[in-house]
Amino acid sequence: MSQNGVFTVLTEVFVMSIFGSLAGKTLSELLKVGDPAPDAASVDRDGKIVWRDLCASTKEQAADILKVVAACNRGAPLAVPIQRSIIDSWNARPAGLGHPDRRDDMIEFSPGNLRVPRWTRPVYMVAAGFSDFRKRYPEKKLEELCMMAFRMLLEENDLKLDPLEVKGLINFASYGEFADHFQDQLLCEAKVHDYLGLDLLPNVGVKTGGATGGSAMLVGATTVASGMSDCTLVLGWERMDEVRTWTGNYYIATAACKDFETRLARNYASYYAPMARRFQEMYHVDERVRAEIAVKNRQNACSSPFAQQPGRHTVDEVLAGDIVSDPLRFLECCAMSVGSAATLLCSEEVARRLTDKPVQLYIAGGSHTLRTGDRRPMRIPLLPHETEEGYRWLYDEMKKHDGRWPGFESFAAARFAAYMVYRMAGIQNPIEDLDLVETHDAFTISDLQTYGDVGLTLYGREQEFVTSGDCYLKNPKTGKPGRCPANLSGGLLGTMHAVGATGIFQCGEVLWQLQGKYDQFHGDPKLWARYGKKKPADWMSLQVKDPRRGLAISHAGVGSHVTCTVLEKA
Amino acid sequence: MRKISVPKIAPSKIDVAGDAWILHVPRLGKEGTHFHTYGQLTPYFQELARGRLMATRCVNKKCPVSRGKGPKWLPPRADCPDCHQPMSWAQIEDPRGYIYAYTYVERGGTGLEIPCPYYQIDVKIAGVCTIMKSYLVGKGPVKIGDKVRARFRTRAAATHTCLDLYWELE
Repeated sequence: MSQNGVFTVLTEVFVMSIFGSLAGKTLSELLKVGDPAPDAASVDRDGKIVWRDLCASTKEQAADILKVVAACNRGAPLAVPIQRSIIDSWNARPAGLGHPDRRDDMIEFSPGNLRVPRWTRPVYMVAAGFSDFRKRYPEKKLEELCMMAFRMLLEENDLKLDPLEVKGLINFASYGEFADHFQDQLLCEAKVHDYLGLDLLPNVGVKTGGATGGSAMLVGATTVASGMSDCTLVLGWERMDEVRTWTGNYYIATAACKDFETRLARNYASYYAPMARRFQEMYHVDERVRAEIAVKNRQNACSSPFAQQPGRHTVDEVLAGDIVSDPLRFLECCAMSVGSAATLLCSEEVARRLTDKPVQLYIAGGSHTLRTGDRRPMRIPLLPHETEEGYRWLYDEMKKHDGRWPGFESFAAARFAAYMVYRMAGIQNPIEDLDLVETHDAFTISDLQTYGDVGLTLYGREQEFVTSGDCYLKNPKTGKPGRCPANLSGGLLGTMHAVGATGIFQCGEVLWQLQGKYDQFHGDPKLWARYGKKKPADWMSLQVKDPRRGLAISHAGVGSHVTCTVLEKA
Repeated sequence: MRKISVPKIAPSKIDVAGDAWILHVPRLGKEGTHFHTYGQLTPYFQELARGRLMATRCVNKKCPVSRGKGPKWLPPRADCPDCHQPMSWAQIEDPRGYIYAYTYVERGGTGLEIPCPYYQIDVKIAGVCTIMKSYLVGKGPVKIGDKVRARFRTRAAATHTCLDLYWELE
C-alpha cells in the first residue's frame, strides 16, 4: 500500500472523473479510472465492494461520493464524513475545546502513524483449548495447567491430523503471562515450552498487563502473516493464588504509576472507580445498568464448565453488596484467577489441511498513557458508520461539563484498535456486521465504557447496548435474538481472568461459536466431570445461530493497551 | 460522614546521589530494599516538602505542539513528549482546582499507607493540561465540581512520596 493510500482518499479529481461513468464497471476497471487510493475500495468474499476511508471536503461532494458508491455496488457506506482527509479528522480541534490558537494540549498524528496494517498473507485460527479456571488451584502446577489447555487444543478440536502430527506442524510459540511476581518465576516461558515438549522451537513471552493475552495473539498472528511461521501456538496463563487476595491487589496496582498513583490505592478497582463516577454523572447512567452487566455475565458463566464464579444474582443483590471503591461493588469486579488458554494460528494452506471450519483472524492494537489524567483531549476519530454531525450534541455536552474526549469516560486505545481492525476486516457498522462480542469486563464499568469505543453504540449512549437488550443471546425486551450478544463465555466477571490467558480465552470462545461448537465445549457432561463439576440440570446452550463474525477485546491498565480481534468464518 | 484527618505516615528513607533523591522501598527487609530514584523529577518531591507545588512546561519555540508556550504538566515530566527537549520547572502559586472525578476507597491493597476509607480525587487545575490524582483530607461528602486547595506534608512530616501533596475542600 502506498502511504498516500491511507489518508489521501477519494479526491475531488477522482470523484469527478468516475462520476457518471461507473455503473456496471468491475473493480479493476474502477481502479484504472482514476488510480485512486488503493485502499479506498476492495472486494470482499461475496464480491461486494467495501469502501473505506471515504471522505469529502464539502457536503455536495459527500453526496456525489454516495451516489457513485450506490451506482457501482450494493454496499454503500452509511455516511461520508465532511473532511479533507483522515489525517485532518484525527488532528482536528474539538469544537470549542482546548485553546483555539494553540495546539499544545493534544496528541497529533502524522500520516505514517495511521497506516492500516496490511499483512503479507491471511491468518487463520483453527483450534483452542483451556484448563478450567479457579480462584485457587493447588491440585496442579502451572505447567500442568498449560498442558491441559495444549492437550485440549490438539485432541478435541476435530482436527484432520493426529494430535502429534498437528504438533509437528508448529513453528513458533507466542506466550502470554501478565506478572512475573505473581508466579515469582522469571522466564516461565522456558519452563512451559519445555514442559509442552516444544524445545528447540523459538518462543517469545509477551507482557501488556490485562491485554497480555490479546497481545500474544497479535504477536502470534504476525508470525503467520509475515511468513515466519505456518503454524503458531498462542498460549497464556496466570497463577494468582500464591499470595493472599489483597497482596495480589497490590501486585496488580503496581501496574499504576509507581511515583504518582500506586500509593493512592494499591488496589486496581480504585483506578476504575473514578472513571465509573465520572461516566455515570456525565452520561446519566443508572447504577442498575452496571449491575445488570454483572448479573448477565455471571449468569452466562452458569453454562460454562470452565467458569470460576458462575452465579444467578439479581441487580438488587449486586447493588446491596459491599463496596470495594465507590461506586464499584464486589460483584462488579473480577476475581483472582488461575488457569491457561491456548489457540492455534495457521496459514491458509495449513488451516485447510487441519479443518473444514477455519476462521480468518484480523487483529490490531492501540495504547495510551497509564495515568488517566494524562490523556490529552482530541477529536473523536470516527468509525465508518459515524459522522461529525452525529457527535455535535456530545461536543455541546462536553462544553457544559468541562468534558473532553477520551477524558475519564472512554478508552482511546480501544478506539484506535477498533479503527484499524475494522478497516482490515471491512467492518462498516459493528452492531450490524458482528454477531457476537467478548469484552474485557474486569469491572462492569470497563465493559460499559468500551461499547462506545468499538462502535456498538455511539459515545455517550453506551448504556443503550444494555438497556436495548441487544447484548443478550435472546433479547429480553423483544424475545428475538440479541443483535450482538456480549460475553456469552461468562466473561471475566463470571468465568476467568487468569490475566495472561484472558485475551486468548476470549478468542477461543469466539472461534467455537463461529464453528458452531459451543455445545461441544460447554454442554458435554464428561467435560464438567473432568473439572469435578456436575453439568447443571437446567444447563442452557448459548450457541449463537449461524454467526459469521465475532469481536474480542483485550484490555490493560486503565486502557493502556487494547487489542481488537475480528474473527470471521472462512 | 466522618472527618478524615491527615494520616500518620512514617517518612520514607532517602539517599542523595548528585541532584537526585533515591527512595528506599523495603520489600524483603533491609537487604531486600529497592532503591528507587526520582531522577530529574527530584525537585518536585523536594519542593513538596517545602510546601510548594512544581510543574513542568515546554518552552521550546521549535516544538511543533507547544511552540514554546506549553501548558503545565502535573505530574511533571523532565522531557517534552512532543519535541523531546527538556521541559522547564514552573511553580503553581496557591494551588487550587476542582474535583474532576473521585472515588471513596473502602478497601486498599496490602501496604496502603492511607487509612481506609478515604477520598481519592482527580483534580483539575487551571493552566495545567493534565488532571492529577491525589487524595482529600477533611470532611466529605464530595461531588464532581467541588473546589479544593492544596495542602502539603512538610519538613519532619514529609514522607518524600506523592503523599506529601493532599487537598482540602475550599
